[in-house]
Amino acid sequence: MSALISTQGLGKPVEVTAIDREFRKLWEADDASTNASLMNFLVYTEEPEKLVKNSEAIQELTREHACRAVLIAMDREASELGIEAWITAHCHLAHGKKSICSEQIAFLLHGNSLGRLRNTVFAHLNSDLPLVFWWQGEFSDLFEEGLYRRLDRLIVDSSTWTDPIAGFRRLAEARADTQGRLVTQDLSWTRSYFYRLSLARLFDDPIAQRHFSKIETFRVTAHPAQRMAALLLVAWVITRAGWKLLSRLPDERGWNLESGESGAAAIRLEFTWLEDAAPLAELEIIAPDCTVRVSREQGKSHLSQAICTEGHCLDFSGPADADEPEGLMASQLARGGKNSLFREILPQFMKLLEGAG
Amino acid sequence: MGEIGVSNPFSEDLVSRNLAEACSVVIFGATGDLTHRKLIPALYNLAVDGELPAGVKILGFARRDWSDEFFRENLEKLNREVSRTGHDDEIWEGLAANVQYHQSEFQDEEGYQRLAERLDAIDRERGGKGNRLFYIASAPEYFDDILLNLKKAGLSQERPDCEGCWSRVIVEKPFGTTLATAQHLNEVVNGTFEEKDTYRIDHYLGKETAQNIMVLRFANAIFEPMWNKEHIDHVQITCAEHLGMEGGRGGYYDKAGALRDMVQNHLLQLLSLVAMEPPTDLTADGVRDEKVKVIRSLRQWDTPELVAENVIRGQYLAGNVDGNEVPGYREEERVDPESETESYVALRCMVDTWRWSGVPFYVRMGKRLPKKATEISIHFKETPSVLFNATPGGVPAGNVLVIRIQPDEGISLMMNSKLPGTTLRMEPVKMDFRYASSFGKSSPEAYERLLLDAMAGDATLFARRDEVEEAWRFIDKIHHAWAGEGKGIPIAEFPAGSWGPREADELLAKDGRSWRRL
Repeated sequence: MSALISTQGLGKPVEVTAIDREFRKLWEADDASTNASLMNFLVYTEEPEKLVKNSEAIQELTREHACRAVLIAMDREASELGIEAWITAHCHLAHGKKSICSEQIAFLLHGNSLGRLRNTVFAHLNSDLPLVFWWQGEFSDLFEEGLYRRLDRLIVDSSTWTDPIAGFRRLAEARADTQGRLVTQDLSWTRSYFYRLSLARLFDDPIAQRHFSKIETFRVTAHPAQRMAALLLVAWVITRAGWKLLSRLPDERGWNLESGESGAAAIRLEFTWLEDAAPLAELEIIAPDCTVRVSREQGKSHLSQAICTEGHCLDFSGPADADEPEGLMASQLARGGKNSLFREILPQFMKLLEGAG
Repeated sequence: MGEIGVSNPFSEDLVSRNLAEACSVVIFGATGDLTHRKLIPALYNLAVDGELPAGVKILGFARRDWSDEFFRENLEKLNREVSRTGHDDEIWEGLAANVQYHQSEFQDEEGYQRLAERLDAIDRERGGKGNRLFYIASAPEYFDDILLNLKKAGLSQERPDCEGCWSRVIVEKPFGTTLATAQHLNEVVNGTFEEKDTYRIDHYLGKETAQNIMVLRFANAIFEPMWNKEHIDHVQITCAEHLGMEGGRGGYYDKAGALRDMVQNHLLQLLSLVAMEPPTDLTADGVRDEKVKVIRSLRQWDTPELVAENVIRGQYLAGNVDGNEVPGYREEERVDPESETESYVALRCMVDTWRWSGVPFYVRMGKRLPKKATEISIHFKETPSVLFNATPGGVPAGNVLVIRIQPDEGISLMMNSKLPGTTLRMEPVKMDFRYASSFGKSSPEAYERLLLDAMAGDATLFARRDEVEEAWRFIDKIHHAWAGEGKGIPIAEFPAGSWGPREADELLAKDGRSWRRL
């Protein structure tokens, strides 16, 4: 049935009912490797041609995150219902010595059936281990309570959404349905991690702190494809600084912000979207005698951080976030946690998003 | 929100630990091995991970007549060899641009005045906060001079012109060689820096598995109810080294011995983490209050008879390690041929608290043992032999929980299982968790964590004054017995490459127990 979809590299084709038996055979035949798993990691896409690419991503991710990976691709356009499965193990030498392996099951589901995704997921988990679900692309009607109620962690990438307002609202519903138990994460938020860390470090400096109440301009430059990452970063700055969104700028390229400081002028927030820029290219906070800047040149793996005051600048550099979703996912999985900061900034973020139209 | 002078809103909730603050790090003994192999690679790896605060300056203070450039070149050479994450030229250049060398004798007051001027210039250049972290990594005989000269140069005090600035000191081991010398050193340190600004480093506490002991105990409800005399038969702490006195270390070691070099600090720290009561909170003093109670509760072996009964000291004879013939301890370079220093020690420790009454903690440390391994094993009591005592072979030994500190950090649990077959036979099986297998990402080196903590003002993983002194009090009594009336207590001998002297086995055998086979 998958004649038109590449399945090369997915491993051994198996009957769905024989998956456990085939894994047992695999491990019995190999005394030299260790099967390790810290979580169930599910990757779901409704673009079947991504199955092989996702398997390649798991190959990389399992270097740092041992897991049972379950890849599911749904071919909703298929006229007949059907299911195909493959198993394989991704093995890596740990510290140059022992071979550590993670199991992977790949499913290609044909046809449109509501409960099948849920059943496929829950029938092939390692018991007791956390369940992390990477939903790729827009939410569909298959994202339903019966599914997300049993997840521990849901990871999305809002940069791939054509209707982010609907996507974030759906995410909020899911959190509400689970009484906040479901931890939600967005790779667009992960993408700004080192920007946030850099800004926090720069504002440890007394020079930056002294000029904080005099900030006049706040500029963000980003690639248009990473609008979500830029808005999330801005929402974080606004939330932490205690600023408020006042009104859109007349040219619609930003906002007036209220600092909360009595008598202080409004802060001008400006966005610049550049096709040839790094995903997040620059964040600049400007007071009359002090500029704090974090920036990244396209293609560079480091962030430049600077505080400029009274004619001279102090420059530093630090690591930058990964560009590819796989790298961002590896960072996200390494951090874990309840992601409460992400939840905290969402109200401001939604205002920015909805205000931007 | 307005002024943010009190705290930086962007740092709140960003990472689940205190953020390290920008500072000038002054390393005394900057041309030494520790600086090149551990401290600078640790700072470099913090930069790689984005953990190093922007604006950290590093000043190497040492006697040799080196230039900034030569110092940086030497550091880079070693960093390429030993850095955990490899060597990235771009990151290194960023770090190296903030590294300078300061030449001075440790006793030269004028050198410290120049240092103060340099630090002031750096602060002016940075435009504000003058935080300073002094790392004393020199030979211990210079500790006093360095501390006293820092004080004279006004580098240790709070500065009225610099609100919120701090000056902290990290002191490397050995922290004294006896209770008296440790007390003296504490007087000097605390005459220079306040206790809250004093960080006595014990790199074992920076190791991932040592930190995991508290998590294992207090974040897993299944262990803590059993963590007491009702369920635990005994505890073993082993630190085995296969190296001997290579690289001329015999000179230092022959003056110290295993008890002072390892037991007084590292192994008693591990013991206190295993035996402590749950702290009321995870603040530095909350944790250290509980640890010091354990050390204070150690039953004192203060007579030659008690020492002979509970402590075994030994030396290795010539033998074979890793397939190579090796000399005996007394034939090692820079070791006195008549030396009575122990290269091996095994102790029975009793923690006289309600929780641990009657539960022995056996501690052993030795050089030239068959392999390198540090671990803690918790031996649970056996089940009552009412159900399985009629089965062939009876019931195997009780459960053993092993916390491996190094290498191959992890935790394993031995439990009994039925052998497949028609008869009821039991064998122990092992459930094993390995950091390296489960987490592909390598753990930070102990020095990375500890340097970061010192910059963040978190002293939880550093020894407090009373901990150090209580540990010396315990150790000193054993030494006095060996040196005084107990001089006749023989030194047990064993061939290099074996698991220690027969007498150490007998120490446990007379309690009906045996050392765990590693």
